[in-house]
Amino acid sequence: MSTALSPLFELQLQLREAVLGGDAGDIVADILGEGIEPAARLGIYRNHALATLGDALRRIYPVVCRLVDERFFAYATHQYLRVRPPGSRCLNEYGSDFADFLATFPPCEGLPYLADIARLEWMLKSALTKRQPKPWRADILAAIPSGEAAYVALRLQPSLSYLASPWPIDAIWRANQSDEVPTVDPASGGVNLEIRRDGEAVLWRRLDLGTFVFRKSLADECMLAAALTAANLRDAAFDPTAALRDVFAEGLVVGVAVSLDQALEMTARDGQA
Amino acid sequence: MSRGPDGPAIVSRRGAIEKIHVGIGLRSPHASQIAVARPQLGFLEVHAENYMAESPAFDELLELRRDYPVSVHGVALSLGSAEELDRSHLDRLKALVDRVEPMLVSEHLAWSAIDGVYLNDLLPLPYTESSLDLFCRHVDQAQQELGRQLLIENPASYLRFRQSSISEPEFLSEIALRTGCGILCDVNNIYVSAWNFGFDPIAYLEALAIAPIGELHLAGHHAAEAVDILIDDHGSRVATPVWELYAVALKRFGPVPTVIEWDTNIPPLEILLDEAHHAQELAYEHRPVAAI
Repeated sequence: MSTALSPLFELQLQLREAVLGGDAGDIVADILGEGIEPAARLGIYRNHALATLGDALRRIYPVVCRLVDERFFAYATHQYLRVRPPGSRCLNEYGSDFADFLATFPPCEGLPYLADIARLEWMLKSALTKRQPKPWRADILAAIPSGEAAYVALRLQPSLSYLASPWPIDAIWRANQSDEVPTVDPASGGVNLEIRRDGEAVLWRRLDLGTFVFRKSLADECMLAAALTAANLRDAAFDPTAALRDVFAEGLVVGVAVSLDQALEMTARDGQA
Repeated sequence: MSRGPDGPAIVSRRGAIEKIHVGIGLRSPHASQIAVARPQLGFLEVHAENYMAESPAFDELLELRRDYPVSVHGVALSLGSAEELDRSHLDRLKALVDRVEPMLVSEHLAWSAIDGVYLNDLLPLPYTESSLDLFCRHVDQAQQELGRQLLIENPASYLRFRQSSISEPEFLSEIALRTGCGILCDVNNIYVSAWNFGFDPIAYLEALAIAPIGELHLAGHHAAEAVDILIDDHGSRVATPVWELYAVALKRFGPVPTVIEWDTNIPPLEILLDEAHHAQELAYEHRPVAAI
């Protein structure tokens, strides 16, 4: 039975619109007053939705909030909620594309680094929700037959993420952790960041270009050979031997896949991407 | 090591000796402390949607599950939506329930999503014959997919619809009768809704079918600033009149597992344990006459 045009469906669409801050329309006429204005009763739900979703974003993006101030942040999150309301029913998955929204939000044009700050904060938040499997040792590579070496893929720690920005977003983020904000020159250069969970904390560090490209390629599930090639192409100073040694030494590798079928599958997927 | 509730043994309305199970809602600021201190609690209740991804929090829950029964309380299945149930969300709920093997699984008499948008709130339904049919169909489907009984909780409400022709306790009782689901009776929600609409909360309790009641909820509320409305915010101790209503519920329903919920302005764990202890004392004090 199709319920798409049922009166209840229509009522719920109207109520949704009203709760998200839109026009309450005819829905008010369906609400009993019982001593209180129907619009005031509706307002309880609207306030709750805007407050809880706004609070969720404020917890994830404290530095973005600080950079634009509380009042503007509330305005921006309200606009975001109107344009991109939650699709997932798990609240902790809401806000993943807030950075993309900020990047095209006209009032934020004067803060070109704001979207990358948001991307960094989403990665910081996400890292804490990821497990930390026991890392593998480098000698696993010695067990791989030479004929299959071209089809090796390394699995990295789930909490790892990589972010390149033309702005010094790490310095800007750190500067906004204290009451007295030291001056950071936004034009002082970009960064290639690695973000990772470490116990109950999240760490990040700057990487040189070759190492960044190599590790990001691995995190994107490229095969090892492809990741090494990509890094070499972008950075003439890239040292593949040291790079491979370091990902094991730093405990980043949590799995090794060696399979022609898997390699073909990954190649096809990479090709599509 | 296995620890469970250590409350007073009493006789239920069914005549069996059993303990009153009083639990608390497990919230992330308390998880580590509970993992270390292992306080005496009947069970822990978790919001399903906080544990639907593989995560350190989920691992922690499985660890606690070894020592505590767990109740899974869903807030986003949106059984009242006038569309098909969200297949992927139901699958995620089933995966969680299969892994945790909870003592109870519950959801709400409400809707929270429509046409792809999730509103993060428990929105009210008009209580009509057609919405009753719809809700029962969704409960049937969810119970079939999960392979177990659901409990359905009465929501705190701030508005009622002109179209409603059935009272909420009758609506809820009829769902239980038709689908075989249980009822999670939230005592604070009854008090809040009764205040907001001017009905008698005890009459509401008396209109609820007794047999399906499988769990009780207690929580705090506050008064809205601009209008004479109470808000169910789970942000304070249980109010005195709600404790009094809880005593009435215990007399009517017998010793039912009870949860103290606290979701905003989360206090030290000791405060929740103190509230749980008080619930346990009341449950003993108001145990059925046959037990005395």
